[in-house]
Amino acid sequence: MIQLFHVYKSFGSKNPALIDVSLTVKKGEFVFITGPSGAGKTTLLKIIFCAEKVTSGQALVNGRNLNRIKDRELAFLRRRVGVVFQDFKLLPRRNVFENVALALEIAGLPFSMIRKKVHQTLRYLGLANKEGYYPPQLSGGEQQRVAVARAIINNPLILLADEPTGNLDPDLTMEIMALLRQIHIRGTTVIVATHSQELLRDTRRRIVTLSKGRIV
Amino acid sequence: MSITFLRYFARQAMANIFNNRLVHLIGVGTMAIAFLIFDAFVLIFLNLNYWTEERGKLLTMSIYFKAEPERIVLEDIKKELLGFPGVTIKGFISKDDAMESLRRQLGDKAGLLDGLRENPLPASLEIVLSRDKSGDSTPYQLKRRLEGIDIVDEVQYSQEWIKRFEAFMEAIKIVGIVVGGLLFLAALFIIINTIKLTIYSRKDEIEILKLVGATNRFVKIPFLIEGSIQGFLGGSVALLMLFLAYIVVMSRVDLRIGFASLDIIFLPTHFILFLLLMSIIIGFIGSTISLGRFFRI
Ligand SMILES: Nc1ncnc2c1ncn2[C@@H]1O[C@H](COP(=O)(O)OP(=O)(O)O)[C@@H](O)[C@H]1O
Ligand SMILES: [Mg+2]
Repeated sequence: MIQLFHVYKSFGSKNPALIDVSLTVKKGEFVFITGPSGAGKTTLLKIIFCAEKVTSGQALVNGRNLNRIKDRELAFLRRRVGVVFQDFKLLPRRNVFENVALALEIAGLPFSMIRKKVHQTLRYLGLANKEGYYPPQLSGGEQQRVAVARAIINNPLILLADEPTGNLDPDLTMEIMALLRQIHIRGTTVIVATHSQELLRDTRRRIVTLSKGRIV
Repeated sequence: MSITFLRYFARQAMANIFNNRLVHLIGVGTMAIAFLIFDAFVLIFLNLNYWTEERGKLLTMSIYFKAEPERIVLEDIKKELLGFPGVTIKGFISKDDAMESLRRQLGDKAGLLDGLRENPLPASLEIVLSRDKSGDSTPYQLKRRLEGIDIVDEVQYSQEWIKRFEAFMEAIKIVGIVVGGLLFLAALFIIINTIKLTIYSRKDEIEILKLVGATNRFVKIPFLIEGSIQGFLGGSVALLMLFLAYIVVMSRVDLRIGFASLDIIFLPTHFILFLLLMSIIIGFIGSTISLGRFFRI
């Protein structure tokens, strides 16, 4: 599903954010990427959904070589890759419904279907009564769930979550993790980046640890 | 293209305009001024063209005689001339009349003429030819025909000033193209900057749209619509202002001069449609340029 071969990524003249990273994630896996702050976790996820290009090396997602992908193909690939960002990236001037509907509008679905799917997903995430709210009116946990709703509404093959529990208290952390597990059970490949050791303590999942841009 | 897309694009374009209404207002205002200057130019040109055409249709022809023609011969010639379509007789100028008018022209230097033993000025017949009714080749045919008459010395017709006026119109056309080009660039510049501002105001949204899988085209279209709407509004306001100015001028001209033969015409419908289309196209091109710059970043 995801294959990285000797990936390097540097930003200008600073120390590279990723150094010789090779990683294979199979379909249906649940993988944690961990490491201290600044280790390169976010950069790795950005490479996978092509928000950043590799400096050298190869990255393949769902069989596509990201070095050679065209704009249009990239757009279609991204519809199969849901992302929950560290800072949510919700639009403050659009309400919950509109924020989630965005992911379907870009695909040109008929409005009746968009409405149905958005209702369904928001209900699934316990946000049914928040449809008309604007992100600034929501708590961190609620915003997080809106971000998850937007990421999963297209039934993505892959779900990437960057510090999904970073801003949440322990109860909400458990809740979000349970949610990610459910999504995984439905067949989605899930990759979670986190610096929290807490989250990894009892897990039997695969853990990839980054340190200063290298896999250790 | 699906209904969802159309709905989305229209809504986004409107939201952009609304959220950046001040920028748009200023943009439309400045652009309207640029278009107004351009439209006014077109209007003036059109009227000058119309007037010259009207004038150009009338041709004055002078028939010079070798000697003072006899009355009967003159009447014969007049009769024959009136047989041609579009000919009207302006008048006969005898040798004496010609001398009289020359004296008047010379004023106090008229004494120079006293030394002449006989009047060297020819008698002439002036006619007006309406090209509308006679067609283009007739003046020359008529000239040939008249010069065939033995008492006729020479026939001259006044194409000269028309030629000069046509040259003047050419000059105006060139100035118009240059000024129009500059105004076109000004309008383009205004659109580019307005759309650039609205793009920047929605930078976050564009980023998110792209991250959830929107194609470039999907992101761009609302801005293209927005630019086209701005162009259309600028163009419409300009035409409206021009029309108001036209009405005001018309009412004044009517009151003060009452110049029946110098009608000022307004832009015909196909010109209006053309100018509007052009302003939309400028809006479209302007936003395309803005987007090109943005998407390269
Ligand atoms: N856009 C960027 N420009 C410059 N440096 C960056 C950029 N993104 C990340 N970095 C640098 O890359 C390194 C890894 O960052 P990041 O991937 O965000 O780490 P993590 O998510 O593990 O905390 C850091 O040193 C960071 O400063
Ligand atoms: Mg990070």
